[in-house]
Amino acid sequence: MTRKRSSGSQVVATVSRYLCLTLLLVFTLGPLVQTVVISFVSTLPRENVGRGAWTLLNYRHIFADPDLVASLGNSLIYVSLNVIVTLLVALPAAYALSRHSFVGDRHLLLLLLTFRITPPVVLSLPVFLLFAQLNLLNSPVGIALIHCLFNVPIAIWILSSFITAIPRAFDETAFLDGHSTAGFFVKFLMPAIAPGIGVTCFFCFIFSWVEVVFARILTSTGGKPITMAIQSLFGFTTDIGLVMAMTVLSLVPGVVLIFFVRNHVSRGFEIRA
Amino acid sequence: MHGQHNKAWLMVLPAVLLLGVFGVVPLIAVLNYSFFDIFTLQDRFWVGGEWYQALIRSPDFYAALARSLLFTLLVVLIQFPLGIGIALLLPKGTRTSSFFLMVLAVPLVVPWNMIPIIWLNLISEDFGFVGQFLVWLDWPFDYKFNPFHTWALILIIDTWHWVGLVAILAYSGVSSIPGSYFHAAAIDGASRWTVFRFIQLPKLHAVMMMALLLRVMDSLMIYTEAFAINAGGPEGATSFLSLELGEQIRGFDYGPAAARSVVYVLIVLLVAWAFQTSLRRHNSADEDRV
Repeated sequence: MTRKRSSGSQVVATVSRYLCLTLLLVFTLGPLVQTVVISFVSTLPRENVGRGAWTLLNYRHIFADPDLVASLGNSLIYVSLNVIVTLLVALPAAYALSRHSFVGDRHLLLLLLTFRITPPVVLSLPVFLLFAQLNLLNSPVGIALIHCLFNVPIAIWILSSFITAIPRAFDETAFLDGHSTAGFFVKFLMPAIAPGIGVTCFFCFIFSWVEVVFARILTSTGGKPITMAIQSLFGFTTDIGLVMAMTVLSLVPGVVLIFFVRNHVSRGFEIRA
Repeated sequence: MHGQHNKAWLMVLPAVLLLGVFGVVPLIAVLNYSFFDIFTLQDRFWVGGEWYQALIRSPDFYAALARSLLFTLLVVLIQFPLGIGIALLLPKGTRTSSFFLMVLAVPLVVPWNMIPIIWLNLISEDFGFVGQFLVWLDWPFDYKFNPFHTWALILIIDTWHWVGLVAILAYSGVSSIPGSYFHAAAIDGASRWTVFRFIQLPKLHAVMMMALLLRVMDSLMIYTEAFAINAGGPEGATSFLSLELGEQIRGFDYGPAAARSVVYVLIVLLVAWAFQTSLRRHNSADEDRV
């Protein structure tokens, strides 16, 4: 009797679980499906293609426009630079924070996180002036550096939780074998936390890729990233199909990265007591 | 490990220097500007605390603050139960959950200025699935002139964008619980709610505090999406803190904008401090228990 009732309620639970998950799927992917569909539709009246007809024209227009192609390249360059710089400074800091206790260590991560949560609008004007003096305007280097402001804290957080998961004996063995600190990092630590480095790259990549406020003020006259290139497509008659095709292209790198880190993405957020 | 202090600082130094140059220097500049009336950067006059006085006496500031606080409150009330609920629904460590985590991460990789574009297109009456559906329903959805509809739209968009992050973080908290805890609870005949309240929620606390910090600050200072939807309208109903600041910067009111920025940074520091205090109290309570 009891068994029967519990298996009945189990069926209800499973059905409602999958119903909820289906709703979630529709809500999350619906807007993106629409975007992909419109990117294959001609949305402006044209001579030989009717409005609303299926076409590859939007994508052909992108690749025929050197500015749009260049913007894709610009974005990829500064995002990659940012990931490299962030990893270079965050890895030793994360190691120090998870292995050693030193003066101010408990305040440090919070202090760093303060930069992550400071709104970019607040800093936009002085950052623009500072970068004008440093000759870093309209250059991917400038955006890559300023994006470290919010990526370095996140990277330290994720990396240190992966490093903490490795037993200390691991380091001690390597040092006893006579490896230098640098050698230990490259030959032992980085392979051991490879998934953590993957997750860190993923989050640094997306947070840099999606950011617009700094990207806009630092590229007012040149070196525009893909986000700004899309913004510039809006005008008196906006070709929504073209905008959507550009949006779809802007999603490709992120989606590819998601696929690579899919099994590790939820592992990097342990918080040390 | 006592001799390690100096070496540890050397390892942290590059990160601290980088953030110092590109974070602290602009902050000092903002603080400096906030005491000046700025025509051009060479041509400026000391005005002392005038901008601050004007700001804290301005009813617009408090109205924007109230709107932002309400928005943040709604974001938290919607996205945390939803995100934690999703994390609990996902079967632990299976292909299904891996697939859903991937799906949940997709909105996170959409550039922020394209999120409003995607959604406005979705609800447009010309091409949008939802827009056409609303026309068919004959429901007068009007995000341009009806403030409730604007708020609802921005909240839905923000939830679409960020609930995945809350769910991913919650899932990472839940999946770190050893299976033996659940077996013990099952043997004791614990109800689903008891399991959630006494096993899962405590384990989630730290990671959810982090999610809360990120969501609270990002929603309190929401800019790109809210501006693109209705530029703070209708009649200022969605004019949040950052939008007011953006308006001043676009109007070249650099002195008042700087003063406003300093006040916002103080709000950020206050929230960060409250967060740290709460996390530390929780941790020391944990240690007492052990």
